[in-house]
Amino acid sequence: MSEKLQQIINKQNKALSGDDVKIDEVIQLVGFIVGDEEFSVPILSIQEIIKPISWTRVPQTPEYILGVFNLRGSVIPLIDLRSRFGLETQKHTEETRFIVMKNGDDVAGFVIDRLTEAIRLPKKDVGPAPDTINEEESMIDGVGKQADRIITILKVGKLLERNF
Amino acid sequence: MDEFQEILQDFLVESFELIEQLDQDLVELESRPDDLDLLNRIFRVAHTIKGASSFLNFDVLTHLTHHMENLLNMARHGDLVIDADVMDVILESIDLMKALLVRIRDSGEDSGLEVNPCVIRLDAVANGTSLGETVPAPAAPSTPTPEPKVAVATSEEEPDYSGMSDEEVEAEIERLIAVRQAEDAAKRANSAKSTTPSAEEEPDYSGMSDEEVEAEIERLIAVRQAEDAAKRSNKAQEPESVKPSVAAAPVAVTPPAAPKSEPAPVAKAAPAPKKVEAKDDGENRGGSAVEQTIRVDVKRLDHLMNLIGELVLGKNRLIKINDDVEERYEGEAFLEELNQVVSIVSLVTTDLQIAVMKTRMLPIGKVFNKFPRMIRDLSRELNKKIELEITGEETELDKSIVEEIGDPLVHIIRNSCDHGIETPETRLAAGKEEGGTIQLKAYHEGNHIVIQIIDDGKGLDADMLKSKSIEKNIITEKEADTMSEKEAFGLIFRPGFSTAAQVTSVSGRGVGMDVVKTNIEKLNGMIDIDSEVGKGTSMKLKIPLTLAIIQALLVGVQEEYYAIPLASVLETVRISKDEIYTVESRSVMRLRDEVLSLVHIGDIFEVERVFDNSEHAYVVVLGLAESKIGLIVDSLVGQEEIVIKSLGEYLKGIEGIAGATIRGDGGVTLIVDVAALMQMAKSVKSTVGQESAEAKSRGGAKNSASDYCVMIVDDSKTDRTIMRKALEPLGITLVEATDGVEALNILKQGDHNFDGMLVDIEMPRMDGYTLAAEIKKYNKYKNLALIAVTSRTGKADRMRGVESGMVEYITKPYSPEYLMNVVKRNIKFNEGL
Repeated sequence: MSEKLQQIINKQNKALSGDDVKIDEVIQLVGFIVGDEEFSVPILSIQEIIKPISWTRVPQTPEYILGVFNLRGSVIPLIDLRSRFGLETQKHTEETRFIVMKNGDDVAGFVIDRLTEAIRLPKKDVGPAPDTINEEESMIDGVGKQADRIITILKVGKLLERNF
Repeated sequence: MDEFQEILQDFLVESFELIEQLDQDLVELESRPDDLDLLNRIFRVAHTIKGASSFLNFDVLTHLTHHMENLLNMARHGDLVIDADVMDVILESIDLMKALLVRIRDSGEDSGLEVNPCVIRLDAVANGTSLGETVPAPAAPSTPTPEPKVAVATSEEEPDYSGMSDEEVEAEIERLIAVRQAEDAAKRANSAKSTTPSAEEEPDYSGMSDEEVEAEIERLIAVRQAEDAAKRSNKAQEPESVKPSVAAAPVAVTPPAAPKSEPAPVAKAAPAPKKVEAKDDGENRGGSAVEQTIRVDVKRLDHLMNLIGELVLGKNRLIKINDDVEERYEGEAFLEELNQVVSIVSLVTTDLQIAVMKTRMLPIGKVFNKFPRMIRDLSRELNKKIELEITGEETELDKSIVEEIGDPLVHIIRNSCDHGIETPETRLAAGKEEGGTIQLKAYHEGNHIVIQIIDDGKGLDADMLKSKSIEKNIITEKEADTMSEKEAFGLIFRPGFSTAAQVTSVSGRGVGMDVVKTNIEKLNGMIDIDSEVGKGTSMKLKIPLTLAIIQALLVGVQEEYYAIPLASVLETVRISKDEIYTVESRSVMRLRDEVLSLVHIGDIFEVERVFDNSEHAYVVVLGLAESKIGLIVDSLVGQEEIVIKSLGEYLKGIEGIAGATIRGDGGVTLIVDVAALMQMAKSVKSTVGQESAEAKSRGGAKNSASDYCVMIVDDSKTDRTIMRKALEPLGITLVEATDGVEALNILKQGDHNFDGMLVDIEMPRMDGYTLAAEIKKYNKYKNLALIAVTSRTGKADRMRGVESGMVEYITKPYSPEYLMNVVKRNIKFNEGL
């Protein structure tokens, strides 16, 4: 009995470690457009993506914080990425989405212009953020190259960090 | 090690509970030194703590409690008379014991505090006053060492385990268990007759192996549980109460107490303590109604409370949906059923909420208990005669509030003792009784608990308070002049304020009352001071019963809503704008005989104010701690039960916002932090007087025909085109929408400033009536002309149209000219452009 069990466990372990290798090689991202640029965040940092719903303004906050909204009973801050990135704000369209991202216990919704696709990117195609950007301040984790386009990978931790 | 931690926790919880009662008992003891009951109770505390701490290897604590026990034991046997001096030593030792317990709780060890001087004093008192006594004399020297080993060895019958091998030890355990089980059986057969002489023998732990310790632990748990049970039964049968745990002194076990010393030995051997307890209940309580209690982790209660909170939100939503459905399907049969279900759910939810709230309730006596002792100490220290009268200690309130209320009360009472009550000489000279009285009262008042502290001391002198404050640069002379008496009393809460000529150990640092104010504000409570010079002072703390689910007043400003905790709302008044005066660029109003400073909620929360032509304003009068302010709002929505949710890490600490709640419609509403709002109000620039002028200039900016803007809402493309064709000659801007939802979205986007809207009634997603009702919810669209364009011609339809806020009702078909005229009239189109 225990031998059998051991065998199964071994098999599972092997299968798991096999997966590990694959995961290591490829990172999965979700791409989206804000302004004219395509950004992405790791798929695992996304809690969910919803269509825009109404929110409540919170006073005494920077302009890019639109307010808070109700996500099935939780009160969650809503941040406009356009205005966070210093772009002109724009009316929400049919394609506008809220991406709810989490990092540990920190959760916030981000308004993006539209989603593009889920991206599987080999790790070797991801380069570091441009040198000119201060390492500490940067919201950019790295830059992914795929065929003819460049995808900026964002630091979710930095996005969820309060900076006011 | 976890098991040890668990036991340690139990030990601490139990010890602190015991000590709480102890203070009260000790003070009582001083007035009734020969009350054996009291003495026994006190003795038992020392004894229990000693027993447990020696087991847990807290040598210092054991050492101390052992000597306390000694002294108390003598008193108990009448070998020692308790006078004030003896009492001082006992109290000192108890303070030390508390300090040790706190240390253990915080750091897990009891080292670092010097107990020897106290022990020496204890012994001195014991020996010095009991000359010629035979019993205590040998007792004291025979057990002076802190080592439990020595303390216990004398009366022990257990073999020395340290010399044994593991196997032997195992065998020994087996044997002991067998013996105990046999004893247990015998005892059970023997019913209530106790046979074992000593229930509290303490084996030599230091020499034990892990397994033994474990076994010992089990035993001690059982013993303690049995003791608990015994204690509970003692409460029911006050006389001969203490004997069971007094067993360490076998002499004391007198025949009437014998049955009660039984639980301990039984439990010692019992594998299932619960069973013992049950049996014990039956025997000792003899059917008397004793409260059945269960100890529950507060975290579980908190969790339960959170769940109830969610349920309350769900209920609110359900009620809202029920209302909507009722409106839409008026007269349908299923409505009745739905109504019933909704009311049952809401009823049960409310009951459930109350029930859970009650599980979290503690009697305020828990806090009051420490005051008799405090007053005693203070009166000795200050050389005053002060009497404390407590009433309403059984009044219950939420545990979290009980925890917060302790500190403020300590400060207030200290203050009353130090500044309120005069010295005996002064009192006599003033024709009062020599001793002063402080009354501490607690009672319920609606959804609040009121705690009142009344002293018959010298009272507060408003003029003196003012001059002191000016002296300390807390207020300016000008401020002082305009201050009412009540406001002057409020000065005592300002940080840095003190009337004491010099800093004493009791007060004078000017911190205490500031703490009171902060803590009471934290609880959304209010402070009311009444005082008369020479007669005394009364301080009234009004605190909401619970914190998690609160009643709130919902107010509107433009299209935003805010929830204000009802606990802080004193009243609401409707005033006309002429009643607002400006004094030194601050808005104020006269409220009966008071001048109330005003602030607009929109100024505090940076609400963009678009439109406000109304002649009237609503003022919500807020009171917190001792201050008051009037908050101007656009509308009062009503009272609602809300659940406080945090805004999360990202948005925490926003000034003026205490949290958020989810409303019946699923939207989020922010909760106003009244304390912060009052602070903010001081620095906010007032715009109360200017807004109407601003609004007027906004409204009149029409320079060309295209500045007029009308929306056409119809699901039929043909109809939209017909309307467009009819209106195009006017040259006004036209925007089209295909249904109510789209129309609302376009409106909210605010790209255009609409003057009118042509609304079809029959539309998918959102019909015309609903759209009109939605639009009319917003203040800023108050002047938007809604014109119904429909083929429904029934009178009822027209009525509904008017009810939902339509100003005109055009029936299809219509002539283009007619439509144009109606629109022109309603948007006040200026032909001259």
